[in-house]
Amino acid sequence: MLRFYHWQVWRYIAQHRALALLNVLSVACGVAVFLAIQLANRSATAAFAATIDLIAGKAQLEVTAPANDLPEDLLPRVQQTAGISAVTPLVRGLVTLPDFPGEYLDVLGVDVFTNTPFRTFELTNFNARDFDLEAWLGRGDSIALSQAFVARHGLQRGQPLRLQVNGREQIMRIAFVLQPSEMREGDEHVAAMDIGWAQELFGMRGRLSQIQLQIAPGANRRQVQERLRATLPANIEVAPPSRRNEQIDKLLGSFRLNLTAMSLVSLFVGAFLIFNTISASVIRRRREIGILRALGTSRWQVGALFLGEAMTAGIAGTLLGLILGTWLTRALIGGVSETISSLYVLVNVRSVTMNPADYLAASALGLTCAFLAAFFPARAAAFMPPVAALHPEVHSDENKSASSAWLACGILMLGAGVTAGFIALRSGPAWISFLSALFCLSGASCFSPWLVSGLALAGHGLSPARLAPRLAALNFRRALFRNSVTVAALGCALAMAVGVSVMIFSFRQTVTAWIEQTLVADVFITPAANEIAGPSSFLPADALAFLEQNPAVSAVDTFRYVELPFRGGRMALAAIRAAGPRDFLFVNGNRAAQMARFRNQPCVIVSESFARHYHLKPGDQLPLATPDGTRSLPIAAVFYDYTRDDGVVYLSDKTFRNLFHDDRVHSAGVYLKPGADLDALAAAFRQKFGTRGEFAIYSNRALRRRIFEVFDQTFAVTYVLRAIAIIVALAGIFLSFSTLILERSRTFAIMRAIGMSRRQLGGAMLWESVFVGVGANVLGLCAGMMLALVLTVVVNPAFFGWTVHLALPWTMLALTPVWIIPAAMLAAIIPALRATRLQLAQSLRTE
Amino acid sequence: MRAQIVLAFIAFSACLGQEWRLALPGWAYAFPRDHHAHPDFKTEWWYFTGNLFDENGRRFGYELTFFRHGIIPPAQRAANRSRFIVDDLKFAHFTVTDASSRRFHFEQKTSRGAFGEAGFDRGDELAWIDKWSLRMGENGEFHLEAAMNRGRIDLALTPAKPPVIHGENGISAKAAGEGHASHYYSMTRLTTVGTLTMDGKSLNVTGSSWFDHEWATNQLAPHQLGWNWLCVQFNDNTELMLYQMRRDDGSIDPISSGTFVAADGSATHLRNDDFSMMPLSTWKSSKTGANYPVQWRVQVPSRSIDIMINPVLRDQELAFAPLTYWEGAVDVSGTRSGVGYLELTGYAGALSALNR
Repeated sequence: MLRFYHWQVWRYIAQHRALALLNVLSVACGVAVFLAIQLANRSATAAFAATIDLIAGKAQLEVTAPANDLPEDLLPRVQQTAGISAVTPLVRGLVTLPDFPGEYLDVLGVDVFTNTPFRTFELTNFNARDFDLEAWLGRGDSIALSQAFVARHGLQRGQPLRLQVNGREQIMRIAFVLQPSEMREGDEHVAAMDIGWAQELFGMRGRLSQIQLQIAPGANRRQVQERLRATLPANIEVAPPSRRNEQIDKLLGSFRLNLTAMSLVSLFVGAFLIFNTISASVIRRRREIGILRALGTSRWQVGALFLGEAMTAGIAGTLLGLILGTWLTRALIGGVSETISSLYVLVNVRSVTMNPADYLAASALGLTCAFLAAFFPARAAAFMPPVAALHPEVHSDENKSASSAWLACGILMLGAGVTAGFIALRSGPAWISFLSALFCLSGASCFSPWLVSGLALAGHGLSPARLAPRLAALNFRRALFRNSVTVAALGCALAMAVGVSVMIFSFRQTVTAWIEQTLVADVFITPAANEIAGPSSFLPADALAFLEQNPAVSAVDTFRYVELPFRGGRMALAAIRAAGPRDFLFVNGNRAAQMARFRNQPCVIVSESFARHYHLKPGDQLPLATPDGTRSLPIAAVFYDYTRDDGVVYLSDKTFRNLFHDDRVHSAGVYLKPGADLDALAAAFRQKFGTRGEFAIYSNRALRRRIFEVFDQTFAVTYVLRAIAIIVALAGIFLSFSTLILERSRTFAIMRAIGMSRRQLGGAMLWESVFVGVGANVLGLCAGMMLALVLTVVVNPAFFGWTVHLALPWTMLALTPVWIIPAAMLAAIIPALRATRLQLAQSLRTE
Repeated sequence: MRAQIVLAFIAFSACLGQEWRLALPGWAYAFPRDHHAHPDFKTEWWYFTGNLFDENGRRFGYELTFFRHGIIPPAQRAANRSRFIVDDLKFAHFTVTDASSRRFHFEQKTSRGAFGEAGFDRGDELAWIDKWSLRMGENGEFHLEAAMNRGRIDLALTPAKPPVIHGENGISAKAAGEGHASHYYSMTRLTTVGTLTMDGKSLNVTGSSWFDHEWATNQLAPHQLGWNWLCVQFNDNTELMLYQMRRDDGSIDPISSGTFVAADGSATHLRNDDFSMMPLSTWKSSKTGANYPVQWRVQVPSRSIDIMINPVLRDQELAFAPLTYWEGAVDVSGTRSGVGYLELTGYAGALSALNR
């Protein structure tokens, strides 16, 4: 049997190398994209985890406070708690490097006297001699950089290094090298210095970022945790360091799922292609099947033959996909890492984490897809009556009319899609929304046979006078089933392209409208470091006063960001001074009254995504972990916001000051008096504060542009996925037409023999591709609109909790046929040329 | 890094010499003022060693030393700064020699002292790290407390003689050249009473201790490897202190010197050619590979002293990698007999290698 199989399958594959290759490639593409998305995400989380590990070291518990603001006096109290074997304080801050644009350092202020049990890195002098403790402790400008960072930038021992800290500039000396020990691959941006000088550098005198501790042998971690919670103030968090890893995992969960779902579309298209090829192969080999069955081969063996053929392509494609995927990861990882950094947390991915589980999942997915795609054609082959198979007349698709079963199936699937959408919105879980998308796509595909036969009829009726389109319409209809699959494959790819484009367009429109409302100040000023590292540096205190007193300024808004623990996760809290004519985009209610309440009364307003995420509504009390303990504030209103998918909470700067006793701000939005010169203000500001550091000063327009840069970058990976799906689908057209020509070689030869020109024959082929293009276009646009609806109305609210108003990019939609039909024709050109060059004698041999 | 902190033990770094006060001739000693810290100088230590006996005659030796190593000179200390910034490195060594069970216990403590858990000069407390402390009493007595895993001491030390100032003109020279010297005095005989706890058993002990207090900046010259130092309390109520500075060519620096203290407390300065020290046998450490001359013949012809120095235990090595020294209780016999302490440094790697 095995030899028989080899002979049958390999012979066929050898004869149709191009087809086999395309099949392999289509599976490979799907597997590769899926794998790459998994690996890129995994690498990002792993890089983040490695950095956390490097910093958390071997701590078993961490004591932290909101806003990085842990009073240092708590250290002796923690040290005296029973059940603790080692305690070390840590100060942490981000700095940027003006001499290396875009670079930053995650600086750890460590206490070398107590952190030995915790350390996961070694500090050495450059020349590997003993550690120079005196320089470490005595010089405030001594800093240790990672070996990798030093090597990458070719830095030397003792070299001065300019840092930007909280909008100030500071010159440090590279005195030490930090080497991760124990084979840990940490982020090369981690740097270290003495904790005392780090407090000075970051203006954190009297405060710590965290206290790390280890549990004494025999002591119970939970008990120690409880004991600490009892002795420490209420807003102090005591938790094992792994918790933060989990939080990041949770944070990135929806991001990952989104990309994964999109990568699956490639595989979906690939499955269509395999289905198409195996169906073609079954039809082409009817006679063979008949002979085999007549010779006593069982149904099972015949079925296995075709399944085996598909699986050969599946296995080869999967293997190739794993290799391509690994390679593609390297291409995607930069984009994924940047997106995660700009949306979620600062992360620097330098290496790909090759997780065996991801490879296994990708393999399983590729093989399952190939198997499922081949199952139905193989079954058809197995159950083909030998007599019918041997009958010389019937050589193509037998079903020339679309079955109403497909129609019913399509309607049913669409119904399921709508139901899934409702479930996702009403009760969750959120991933059901992707099921809704999948049902919509599958449901739309089911209409493909009807579409094809309709098109064929239309084509036939439209141009009775011309031979080529008429012949094309006839052929199109004759190969109804397989043409339907080709149309469905291209249609699905197109649907994804359309759906995602419409969603992104709608999102962009929504964000634009939101920005119109909320981003109204004329100038925005922030320390340049915040651009790279997120809100980490503060504006100098006198900068605010300078702006307020400037005669050109009418009002100054401020922004301050802190993270507070909330329900086992983190709450993004922003203190806003809304002095200018800025408005929030409230979901409902009287805008003026809500603004007045926000400004004047102790209350918070929460973003729509926050409210949805935590099931909160106006009037509810929101507990805030403040330095004086937990304080609950009423939620005054819900507003639209698209900055973070885990939501954000706003309170007024006055309320914040009262609760947190802190008036530092991360950025300011300045409103100018009519006619005032923006550039003059920027110049005056730079002249006064430029010596103290670098500031990013954006005009309103420039900031909007910057926001959209981030926005577009976020969706950059999506465009790659979209392009791959369409390329796979176009390859499918090529493949489909190549098989069609082989099948019809006898017909073509007869036509040529009775006087049809090569030109006419080629024209008929191209016309057929036009039908495919039109069919795919219709299907793609319809399914794409449904998909867009699902993405905007279901997926976005369910996953991110934000409302996206559907908006249609008419030009782009109108242009779709303009490129998809020529593309389909382009894919058909080579097969068509080949059809015109058929050897008449050879093709007519059997007549 | 735990180990690198010991680096400061040698305390002779040359780099910041200009910012610290040098030990120059003409220091006018005054007590109890000079028992306190001298923060203008880069390094300083309070060095207590002693030989103790319990009621059954069981013999012990102990060492408790507090080191101060200046990081930032007082003139450069900003008034308002992070409390974590270290001005002085604070560390201490504690050893107990248990002669009868032939065991030597040693431990090092170091602390940032950000919250006052370590420091110098807080009222009558001269130096402390956590629970290790050196206090001065109203009547000039000292109080020592220290504890480690195996042993604990709680001792009261009463001076039997006034302080002895070593060297000439208020400085004890360590090498040729200005500033290569220290201000150095000793309390050569302190009657010691207290408790020593060994393996959970508390013992009442009595004996005599020796207190060295030395402060300096940049005292060692680059070619010096280390030193041999010896203190002896003879049974006839006299004492002897000798030291030899060892150079990297194997020779002894001619500037080496000593002090003889008569029964009435009067001190005589001994120059290098007034005495001789001859190593008789060595002990090789299996931990560090260092070869220590632990047995000596010492002669001071002018005082008719010809004595043998025998270690109570051959292994009294403080192995704090990468810096290691030998400091242990010794028995003295010969023309006079008594007890003492011997210190051998620079045998497990040259101290000067750590001079920057």
